[in-house]
Amino acid sequence: MEAITITLNGVEVSGHPGMTILELARESGVDIPTLCYDPHLIPIGACRICLVEDERSGRLSASCVTPIEPGMVINTKSPKVMERRKMILKLILASHPDTCLVCDKGNRCELRKIASDMEVGLIELVKIPQLATIEEVNPFIERDLSKCILCAKCIRADHELVVQGAIEYINRGFTSKPATLNDEPLEKSECTFCGTCVAICPTGALMETKRPYSGTTAAIVSTICPFCGCGCNIDLEVKDNQIVRARPGKGSTVNRGTLCVKGSYGFDFTRSAERLTSPLVKVNGDFQVVSWEEALGLVASEFKRIKENYGSGSLALLSSSKCTNEENYLLQRFARSILGTNNIDNGSRLYSAANIIGLGSPVGFPGTTNHLDALEQSDVILVTEVNLTSAAPIVEYAVKRAVKYKGAKLLLIDPLQTGLSSFAHLWLRPKIGTDIAFINGMARVIVTEGLLDEEFVTRKTDNFEALSSELERYTPEYVEQVTGVPSDDMRHAAQLFAGATTASIVYGAGITQHVTGTNCVMALANLAMLTGNIGRRGGIYALQRDCNGQGACDMGTIPNLLPGYQSVEDTESIKKFADCWGTSLSADVGLTAVEMIEHAKDGKVMSMYIMGENPVLSFPNSTLVKEVLESLDFLVVQDMFLTETAKLANVVLPAASFAEKEGTFTNFEGRVQRVRKVVEPLGDSLPDSEIVLRLANSMGCPMPYSSLQQVMDEIRDLVPLYQGIGYGSTETKGERRDELDRDPFRNRRLYKGQFPSGFGRFSPVQYEPPVEIPGDEYNFTLLVGSILHHSGTGSKTSRSPRLSEFSPEAYVEIGPSDAEQIGIGQGDEVKVISPLGEVTTVVRFTTTLPDGVIVMPNSFSSTPVNQLFDIVLDPLSKTPALKACAVKLERI
Amino acid sequence: MDKTVETAKPDLKQVDEILSRYQDQKWPLIPLLQEVQDEIGYIPPEAIEPIARGTGLFPVQVQGVITFYEQFHTTPRGKNIVRVCRGTACHVRGGRTILKIVKQNLDVEEGETTPDMNFTLETVPCLGTCFLAPAMMVNKNYYGKLAPPKVRNILQQYDNAGD
Ligand code: SF4
Ligand code: SF4
Ligand code: SF4
Ligand code: FES
Ligand code: FES
Repeated sequence: MEAITITLNGVEVSGHPGMTILELARESGVDIPTLCYDPHLIPIGACRICLVEDERSGRLSASCVTPIEPGMVINTKSPKVMERRKMILKLILASHPDTCLVCDKGNRCELRKIASDMEVGLIELVKIPQLATIEEVNPFIERDLSKCILCAKCIRADHELVVQGAIEYINRGFTSKPATLNDEPLEKSECTFCGTCVAICPTGALMETKRPYSGTTAAIVSTICPFCGCGCNIDLEVKDNQIVRARPGKGSTVNRGTLCVKGSYGFDFTRSAERLTSPLVKVNGDFQVVSWEEALGLVASEFKRIKENYGSGSLALLSSSKCTNEENYLLQRFARSILGTNNIDNGSRLYSAANIIGLGSPVGFPGTTNHLDALEQSDVILVTEVNLTSAAPIVEYAVKRAVKYKGAKLLLIDPLQTGLSSFAHLWLRPKIGTDIAFINGMARVIVTEGLLDEEFVTRKTDNFEALSSELERYTPEYVEQVTGVPSDDMRHAAQLFAGATTASIVYGAGITQHVTGTNCVMALANLAMLTGNIGRRGGIYALQRDCNGQGACDMGTIPNLLPGYQSVEDTESIKKFADCWGTSLSADVGLTAVEMIEHAKDGKVMSMYIMGENPVLSFPNSTLVKEVLESLDFLVVQDMFLTETAKLANVVLPAASFAEKEGTFTNFEGRVQRVRKVVEPLGDSLPDSEIVLRLANSMGCPMPYSSLQQVMDEIRDLVPLYQGIGYGSTETKGERRDELDRDPFRNRRLYKGQFPSGFGRFSPVQYEPPVEIPGDEYNFTLLVGSILHHSGTGSKTSRSPRLSEFSPEAYVEIGPSDAEQIGIGQGDEVKVISPLGEVTTVVRFTTTLPDGVIVMPNSFSSTPVNQLFDIVLDPLSKTPALKACAVKLERI
Repeated sequence: MDKTVETAKPDLKQVDEILSRYQDQKWPLIPLLQEVQDEIGYIPPEAIEPIARGTGLFPVQVQGVITFYEQFHTTPRGKNIVRVCRGTACHVRGGRTILKIVKQNLDVEEGETTPDMNFTLETVPCLGTCFLAPAMMVNKNYYGKLAPPKVRNILQQYDNAGD
């Protein structure tokens, strides 16, 4: 492509064809004011404030929509431009209320900024009366459309970025405004309160409401959202050591100007009155406030005593998929080198551990194989058993964008209706627990109809013969009989998937939280390899529930794997770490999360250290979990809140929130991103890393780090995946640049067309009928899932004033005809009873459920659904089945 | 939007039927809306969702188009549409009285429909027949040089029509 040269304010500059004058001007450091332009949106040239003059013709044009042409002589500030721009500005201001002084948009208002830059006062024209504020009762967004300048940015963000379709202009002329369907308040519309439109609105027309703290922003700090595994970049605005608001991080290729409701509004949990602010020690059943020295001294002496009396194997540690990489790294080093045990696991065991073997063994790397951008470029996207709306909102946006604007075809495999159903080219609803049969059926069609990518299969994979013979059973007729999906539809799905140039697969906990989770992941990996969609284009997207689920595993808080998935049974790996840490290390595989409980029950584990996890709410059979934790010789819980688990502890250590510490999170794509301190830790709380370091000191075995940077340096040296990653030149004053983000995927060889071991290995897996089949007594299948406004067990989100106001309690969804049969109505209180336990909740009708299936959210401490599940582990991943169980309903 | 008139639920089957006629083809929105309006007489709000599905648009986008064009109506309209001119030429020749007479006769305000669904009253800025001022239209017929008795006669004509 030839570069195009133009003259810009007397200077020659060049850009590439297709670039607009505005883009080239910004690149060249020339400022042109804009109101309706945003780099994430398709420009529409509506406001005309960005006018420039072509001096050759004297023509004025809107620079945001005018492409550069050779020989242009552009003046961005000619008298003619300035005069016209002022006129336009005055016209906009004429219909704008004089409330600037009290408007909360304050200095962020682009209209006000432009007016003051151009020295235009507010009242020079006769005012046009404006529409009134809309009555809204949601705790997130308030609209004052009298301040609307009709730039359509909110509408375009809603359609082009988050693809929700909640708002659009209504009417025309003076009464035109952005509105929901039937002009209802937002809470009665399709709006998800993602906050994207609020962040992009150039005026005070759209604002956040119920801010935890008001005031003019004094500083903006870029960091990472602490909720789901998507890893959205957020900019936190601060004043007086308080977070004022969160906005989508500028320039992020992860979330591209968007967030979800949790990222935009959920940070207010950090100032919850329930935050722990000092260490607590239980004396005669009551907690007493103590100093850090006292608390850590007690923990150190107890750990030493237990280790000496019962051996290292009697200690077990649960690390957190919500803590940073550095914190996870430190805790596993503490466990392995100081306590001498591999009994360390992290919270992602409960939802994504199936990836470790399920992807690790066929593909060679236990995680997502390509980046989000490549997902959006796919021709066919297979989404299996995951409600992206709640589990991974920005992945949902990407899928919807691909379908709506890029012609991608969505294959949705889910018995339940989700936000993506209306976007699906084909929505297939196999019976619960029959996914393996379905996916194998697709694979068989691909093999028997010769639709596979033969070159890829021959050159890049092995074990194909075994796979194809094992697939024999999965004839379309058999698969139809097992899954209930018509064989023609299944075949159509297979043909579509195999026929695509690039096809991607997205899955989450709906696959991995079943007893057969690991096998199902392998079935998906087979499908991707058969069609050549791995290691070069397309890919497998394994979602993570928590902000650092991927990183915690990468960091080796896993009982059989050292950091970087290096086996504890491999003498060379063990030696590498032992040498670095200057100790000997155990080569015995440790216990996974739920096994710790089982061993504690048998008296083999005497003491546990739990960092940032809440097993009483997250593990199956909570009654047992509670009993066991209570009966431990010594329990330490490190958390921000006095969770159900912390209440059982002997010592509670108060941890700082994500906004109060430094470090890195690794998102589900494998992108390592920087978490930054925004405000000081609350009270006496400390970052988890600091607590672990101090504890090591108290044990008399200090770990040799004087900064987190040194921890990351060590990780870089010992973990091949993190090679080249470092804090780099991050903390220079003013602009913060991150070496970290420059090439986030450089070490993931999968992105470059190679399997780490050279070959992908097909792993045939068989369908087994689900164990959760309902019977005569327990006649419903309960599915448990996440909801948009909460995450995990809700320990953070239930303490976010705004999120919990909007979504205060659990419910059970049931189809009206099922409900009628057992005589319950909408809003009735019911007991949901399994052989193991019961919970009480209220009934909500949902017309789209399959017969005999009911659904409950998992994030409410007042309705602990985990109580209903018995401990049944996937034999390979040791993940407890927490997705489906047989229950009955009783009206109260 | 138009004032609401209580009526029976519209028959959405007609909308589905129109959509199904062109099932596999991407619908251009405006002709589709016109067809729905021609067949049902107006565009029932309940039709917005199916129309959105048929056209691959968001329901709010369909609403946006409907509310942008004056030709589209979201409430049922009478069998006969009376449009009284409010233009300058008509105004100076007593257009206001004409409007008043029509209102009295039909017992509705502007934008409203008679309970028997026979008439909907609208006003327009100019009918383009200023030489006939004061003027009005009923359906596609022009009536000019109006005076109160003439108005009553004209309306009566339409009242009986079809009985
Ligand atoms: S509400 Fe804000 S973003 Fe939306 S059109 Fe009005 S000024 Fe623009
Ligand atoms: S908050 Fe999000 S979903 Fe709601 S209108 Fe704005 S962009 Fe759309
Ligand atoms: S919860 Fe997930 S999708 Fe929502 S803002 Fe945070 S990282 Fe992004
Ligand atoms: S910014 Fe160019 S027209 Fe609005
Ligand atoms: S003013 Fe009435 S027809 Fe023109």
